Amino acid sequence: MTLDKKMRILIVDDYTTMLRILRNLLRQLDLNNVDEAQNGEEALFKLRKETFDLVISDWNMQPMTGIDLLRQVRTDLKLKRIPFIMVTAESKTENVIVAKQAGVSNYIVKPFNAETLRMKIESVFKVAV
Amino acid sequence: MGNPGEQGVPLQLNNAHGYLDRVIRELHAMRTEKKHPLVGVLQYLSDHIRHTRTELGALRPRGGDILSTTADELEEIVAETGRAANEIMGAAEAIEQLMPRVGKDVAVELLAAVTRIYEASAFQDITGQRITKIIRAVQDIEDKIDTLVGACGEPDGETGAPERCGDEALLNGPQLAKAANTQDDIDALFDSL
Repeated sequence: MTLDKKMRILIVDDYTTMLRILRNLLRQLDLNNVDEAQNGEEALFKLRKETFDLVISDWNMQPMTGIDLLRQVRTDLKLKRIPFIMVTAESKTENVIVAKQAGVSNYIVKPFNAETLRMKIESVFKVAV
Repeated sequence: MGNPGEQGVPLQLNNAHGYLDRVIRELHAMRTEKKHPLVGVLQYLSDHIRHTRTELGALRPRGGDILSTTADELEEIVAETGRAANEIMGAAEAIEQLMPRVGKDVAVELLAAVTRIYEASAFQDITGQRITKIIRAVQDIEDKIDTLVGACGEPDGETGAPERCGDEALLNGPQLAKAANTQDDIDALFDSL
């Protein structure tokens, strides 16, 4: 079983360079249906307005952080089942624990490579990309 | 003048060494040998307070502010590295677009190299976050020094690093974008001279 290459992915980061990196790495995995947001608030607005199959989000953003976005997503009846991968420089144990408790699907520490991104997406969907 | 600590006379560092100097003068007038160790200690304290005020004043020289400038420089580093990272990414994307025009073996190698460029470009995010933490720390120190300077009062006389002159005064490193002349500014200035 392989992943649906047409799945719609929302990438969220306040660094435009990181959005560009993520978009390029996803393109190399043949995942081209990508939209972006620069903070949790903008992401939540898009998630409530459109349909997405995966969220890949940074943690440290304003006005809404990645963990707040995750909590909002997990308490929204329509959104709570969307896979959510946190991609962040926050690598402390307590961060990972808090994210896990909030219902994160997987956790990637920056800097990361394309292989890690591929493996985590595969892991979330339990298929080969 | 009243004494520090008396009712209505706030105890402040900015006049503490003035009081100490007055006490020292009064002790000098006393006819006892026991005064000498006490005068020595008070003189040391007075000098130390004066020196501390001068040092604090050096952090707030006229026409400039070391810590604010440092924070501005760090912010500029974040912006500059961001621009550089985007340029690198743009070049890598241009290479990626050429792949359909080369043989499969070359395309595979190009893709691997481009992927490494994308991965490495994440440095800007990491360094940006680290520098942002440093900027916050510098701003915190700046606030605390402001409080200290406020408590100590303006230092006596000229303070701060000695003013640079001649060629030395021309060595300032890269200018912050908001203060820098553009090439057009330079050209216009050059032509006007």
